[in-house]
Amino acid sequence: MSLETRISDDQNVLTIYMEEKFDFGKVQEFRDAYLHISDSVKTIVVDLSHTEYMDSSALGMLLNMQKIMAERIETFKIVNCRPQVVKILKISRFDKKFDMS
Amino acid sequence: MRILIVDDESLNRFLLVHMLEEAGYTDCFEAETGREALQLAEKIKPDLVLLDVIMSDMDGYTVAPLLKKMAGDIYLPVIFITAKDDQTALVRCLEVGGDDFATKPFDRIILTAKIRAHARTRLLSKRAHQQNTELNYFRNGVEREHAIVEHIFANALTINDATKQFFDYRLAPASTFNGDLFLIEPSPSGGMYFLMGDFTGHGLASAIGALPVARAFQAMSRKGVSVSEMSKTINKTLLALLPADMFFAAVVTEISASGHQFAVWNGGMPDLSVIAPDGTVTKKFTSLHMALGILEADEFEENVEYFDAKLGDRLIGYSDGIIELTNVKEQMLGEEAVMSWLASDPTMTVEEISHRTEKFRGNAEQLDDITLISYTCQSLSELKPEFATTQLPFEIAVDLTAEHLTEFDPVYDIVVMVCSQLGLHSVRSDLSTVLNELFINSLDHGILKLNSDIKKTTEGFFEYFELRTQRLSELNQGRITIKISFEPKLKVLTIHVTDSGVGFDYESIKSGHDSDAYGRGIPLIRELCESVNYYAQGRSVCVTIKV
Repeated sequence: MSLETRISDDQNVLTIYMEEKFDFGKVQEFRDAYLHISDSVKTIVVDLSHTEYMDSSALGMLLNMQKIMAERIETFKIVNCRPQVVKILKISRFDKKFDMS
Repeated sequence: MRILIVDDESLNRFLLVHMLEEAGYTDCFEAETGREALQLAEKIKPDLVLLDVIMSDMDGYTVAPLLKKMAGDIYLPVIFITAKDDQTALVRCLEVGGDDFATKPFDRIILTAKIRAHARTRLLSKRAHQQNTELNYFRNGVEREHAIVEHIFANALTINDATKQFFDYRLAPASTFNGDLFLIEPSPSGGMYFLMGDFTGHGLASAIGALPVARAFQAMSRKGVSVSEMSKTINKTLLALLPADMFFAAVVTEISASGHQFAVWNGGMPDLSVIAPDGTVTKKFTSLHMALGILEADEFEENVEYFDAKLGDRLIGYSDGIIELTNVKEQMLGEEAVMSWLASDPTMTVEEISHRTEKFRGNAEQLDDITLISYTCQSLSELKPEFATTQLPFEIAVDLTAEHLTEFDPVYDIVVMVCSQLGLHSVRSDLSTVLNELFINSLDHGILKLNSDIKKTTEGFFEYFELRTQRLSELNQGRITIKISFEPKLKVLTIHVTDSGVGFDYESIKSGHDSDAYGRGIPLIRELCESVNYYAQGRSVCVTIKV
């Protein structure tokens, strides 16, 4: 099973929709979701509206995405976080590294 | 047409009866005295009275008002029988409530014409009276129904008592029922949600949609769902329910347990503003969406704005009823006016603002419902004690062998078990994070002997997880014991995790840099727990969480 992704109409934004649990079990799927995208994509949005739970390896996965894609992608966004997810992201100071608005 | 003739002279009565019979009025009654007239009128309910002025017991001037009173709301024509030349008497007749006079000697044509005219008026009066009766009956019915609906609304739309104290607010419906809606509910994580909205129009028709919205909002608040999911669900509910020309502009907001972080979904409401104590506006949550109940589920946009305000900042919100408030000169109050009041006096209470808006409106009618709310960022720790916790000291011990470890993830089940105890659901998200990190460390480093160093490079990161999957599937020995105990007096959860491995260097697993993709688990644990202690070379760990 792969994660749901969506490319904006202008081909510039890729949105990855994470599921209820965002943990090490998603390593492969998450990488597949962003690795083979077209050059037109300038922004990657990780939508966490359905994510009730994330662990420290998910944090690692997000940072890895940023590292791997840094040359091609201008903006990384994390959107629609639930409070408990925001808490984890904030403790880990992800609000400094990702656009979380 | 029933006519009562009152005259003490029998000749006059005879003449009148005869004249009226000739004219077709056959339903005539006669009374000789004032008293008799009153008694008879009571019994026969005449449609018209011909009344003599001078009688032995009571004169016509006394009888006329009593007859009128008897007839109640329905017009009873009283025609006085008088002598032609007595002008003062004529005037008096009209003064005491008489409607007309017939002078002696009687002229048949004039008298019957007068009777016809008064009969017409009486008929109109009777009809009006009947309609009034029906209208009253109907109005009473509506009032009764409204009272029932009001009762239901009052019960369904109550603002949670625990959260009320944190808000300064005022709801001013334009009619009995409010098309504006304002609700606050505590969230399971110790914060609050609030919903402020405005249905199209006002009155009962627009208030009716508030019921399902309130129920959905309250249920979702208890579950602690995200603001975006709340908006999405309410949109779906209303889409199925409301007629096409009706919708619900709304702001759904979550205030974190810290009391100063906001997550806001604004669809069609005026800006929600954050105002610093010095009066500067530090954030405006402008409407980014269409109102609820319009867009199909797949068109719906659920993105939410976040803002980290400071303690002491105020969050101000209102419905459009306040900005579209119009005075007698037909000038609108406007958003700028309200914001300028607040800029000059940042501590202005909702009552003072309302007072000013009322002053602006003056004698003009209030056309729309008005809602005005204010929240000052403050500690919400008072919301926490609301959760009574179990008084039972308990301990849960789980012993997991290699067989268990290869087959499933025990964390979720343990968390459910612990959090099903009274009052412990409030630590659910922290407990799952902490327990999961502890368990993963024991499994990865203790049992599977994986070294976090592999994760230092990006490729290694993926390699690590492949290695982990492989080793886990091949695992045939090893054991992890998890013990969780609760101390009700101190309200502390103590978690012990011990594994049968050789231990690991917990000191070295520290992320050196914010951008490192590994070593994030232990700092996370330290942040969420009161105390964290590793011992037995990292084979055992004991942490405490304050409930």
